[in-house]
Amino acid sequence: MDSKKGDLIVGIVTGIFGLVGLVLAAYAQDVEIYIFGLSLVGFAVLFIFGLVKRFYDEKDVAHGADGQGGH
Amino acid sequence: MGRTDRGDTEMASSAATAMLDDGSVVNKVFYNEAIVRKFVIAAIVWSIIAFGLGTYLGSELAYPQLNIAPYFNFGRLRPAHPTAAVFGFGGNVLFATSFYIVQRTSRARLFGGRAWADFVFWAYQLQVANMCVSYLLGFSKSQEYAEGEWHLDLWLAVIWLSYMTIFIGTLTRRKEPHIYVANWFFIAYMSMILILHVGRNLCIPISPFRAKSYSLFPGVQDAMIQWWYGHNVVGFFLTAGFLGIMYYFIPKAAGRPVYSYRLSIVHFWSLVFLYVWVGAHHLHFTALPDWTQTLGMAFSIMLWMPSWGGMINGIMTLSGAWDKLRSDPGLRFSVTAVAFYGMSTFEGPLMAVRDVNALSHYTDWTVGHVHSGALGWVMLVSFGALYYLIPALWRKPGMYSTKLMEWHYWLAMTGITLYIFAMWVAGITQGLMWRAYDAHGFLQYSFVESVAAMHPYYVARALGGLFIITGALMMAYNSYRTITTPNESALWAGRRFAGALAAGE
Repeated sequence: MDSKKGDLIVGIVTGIFGLVGLVLAAYAQDVEIYIFGLSLVGFAVLFIFGLVKRFYDEKDVAHGADGQGGH
Repeated sequence: MGRTDRGDTEMASSAATAMLDDGSVVNKVFYNEAIVRKFVIAAIVWSIIAFGLGTYLGSELAYPQLNIAPYFNFGRLRPAHPTAAVFGFGGNVLFATSFYIVQRTSRARLFGGRAWADFVFWAYQLQVANMCVSYLLGFSKSQEYAEGEWHLDLWLAVIWLSYMTIFIGTLTRRKEPHIYVANWFFIAYMSMILILHVGRNLCIPISPFRAKSYSLFPGVQDAMIQWWYGHNVVGFFLTAGFLGIMYYFIPKAAGRPVYSYRLSIVHFWSLVFLYVWVGAHHLHFTALPDWTQTLGMAFSIMLWMPSWGGMINGIMTLSGAWDKLRSDPGLRFSVTAVAFYGMSTFEGPLMAVRDVNALSHYTDWTVGHVHSGALGWVMLVSFGALYYLIPALWRKPGMYSTKLMEWHYWLAMTGITLYIFAMWVAGITQGLMWRAYDAHGFLQYSFVESVAAMHPYYVARALGGLFIITGALMMAYNSYRTITTPNESALWAGRRFAGALAAGE
C-alpha cells in the first residue's frame, strides 16, 4: 500500500472513531462509557495531530535536503 | 532513503541496493524499527506498573488494612494486575518482537505504512489503560482475563484485526521463500486470540450507552466457554507467542542455529492441536459432564510431549555455545526461562489430574503455578529478548551496565523462587486443612483458620514481588542509560554483546 494513501485512510478512520467517541460521551448513561468516549476523542485528536505534524516534518526534511530551506 | 530528525529509519521504496566491499550488489531493506522501539519502551513502562500492582496486591493479602476502598481494594485492583502484566507488559513485548522478527525473517518492511502501525501502538496503550481504569471504577464482566465490558472488547477487536493484517501482509510480501518457524507460532497466537476473544465476549449490551452486558452463554456452558478461553489465552498468548520469541532470540543471541528445525515443526503442530482441548481441566468436580472433564485431563497429560520437546529444542540450541551463558546475562534470562517453561508445563498437566486437582484446586498452589509460568517463563524470556533488542534497536554495542543486568537476573530469580515456594507451601497447607476431618467426621478447621495460617506465606510472596520490581526498575534505568549514552562515549570501549552484533543486520 502506498504510504501516503495509507496514512490518509488511517487518519480518516481514526477521525470516525473520534466521532463515535463523541457520541458515546454525549449520551453516556454511566461514568465508564463517558470516560471511554472522551478517551476515544482525545486519542483521535492527538493521533491526527501527530500525522499532520509528521507530514510537515518530513516536508521540512525534504526541503532541507534539497537546499531549499524550511517554509 | 534518509533519516528524519527523530531518528526513524525511513525509506523511499521497499528496497534499495548497496555495494559491498567485494563489489557485489545486495538488496537492502529498510525496516520500520521506530514502531518496535515504541513497543519496547511501552513494555518496560507496563512491567513497572504490573509488578508494582502485583506487589501491592500481595501486600494487601498479607496486611488487609492496605485495602483502600473503593478504588484500591483487592476486588477492583486485582483484575488490573493481570491486565497490566499480560496485556500491558506481555502484549507489548509480543507486538515488539513479532514486528521485529517478521520484518527480518521476511526481509520486508511492515505492511500498511507507518501510520497504521502507529495506530496499533497508541490504540493498544489506550486499551490497556482503559481496561485498568474500568476495573478500578468497578466495571467488570467477571470473566477472568476478559473482564472488560463490551465496548472495550470491540476496541480490542479493531486493534487485533489491524495487527494481524499488518503482520500477515508483511509475510505475504516476504522476499524469503520460507516462513521461519517463529512466524508460525506468531500466526497461531494471533489467529487463535482473535477466535478466543470473539467467542468469549459474545454478549448483549443492555444499552449502547451503558457499560453492562450479559453473556450469550448460560450456566455451565458459560463456564466451559470461559475456560476454553482462559486456558487458551495461556496457551496461545503466553505460550505460543513467547515460543516465537524463543525460536528467534535464543539462536540469535547464542549465534547457533535451532537445535532441530524438524522438532520445532513437530512442537508447533502438536502444541496447537492439543492446547485447545484442555480448558475443561479447570472445571473438575463441577456441573460440567464427567467425560468433558476427563477429556480435558487426558489432553493436558498429552501436552507434556510438545512442551518438553520445545524445551529440549530451546536449551539444546546452546550446544557448542554454553560458555555464552557466562558472558551474556541476556541469554541467561532466555535459557532460564526455557527451563521454567519445562517446569511449569510439567506442573500444569500434573495439576490437571483429577486426584491432584482435588487437593490443589481453589488453593494458592494454582496461583503459584500460574506465576511460575508468568514470571519464570514469560517475564524471563521477555527480558532476554529486551536485553537483545535494546542495543540492537538503538545501535549500541551493548547494555549500559552488565553488572545491573546480573543484579536484575539474580533479583528476579530470588523473587520468583520466594514467590512460587511460598505459594506451593501455602496451597498444599490450604488443601490439607480444608479436607482434614476429626474422629467424629467434622471438619477439623474452620475456613478462617486456613486464612490465618497463610499469613507468613503471603508476606514471603509480597517480598518476592519486591525483589522482582526492584530488578525491573534496575532494567528500566539500565535501558534508559543505554539509550541516552552517546555512541562516542568511552563507556562502550571494548564491549560487545551478541545482541549488538545484530544491529547492523
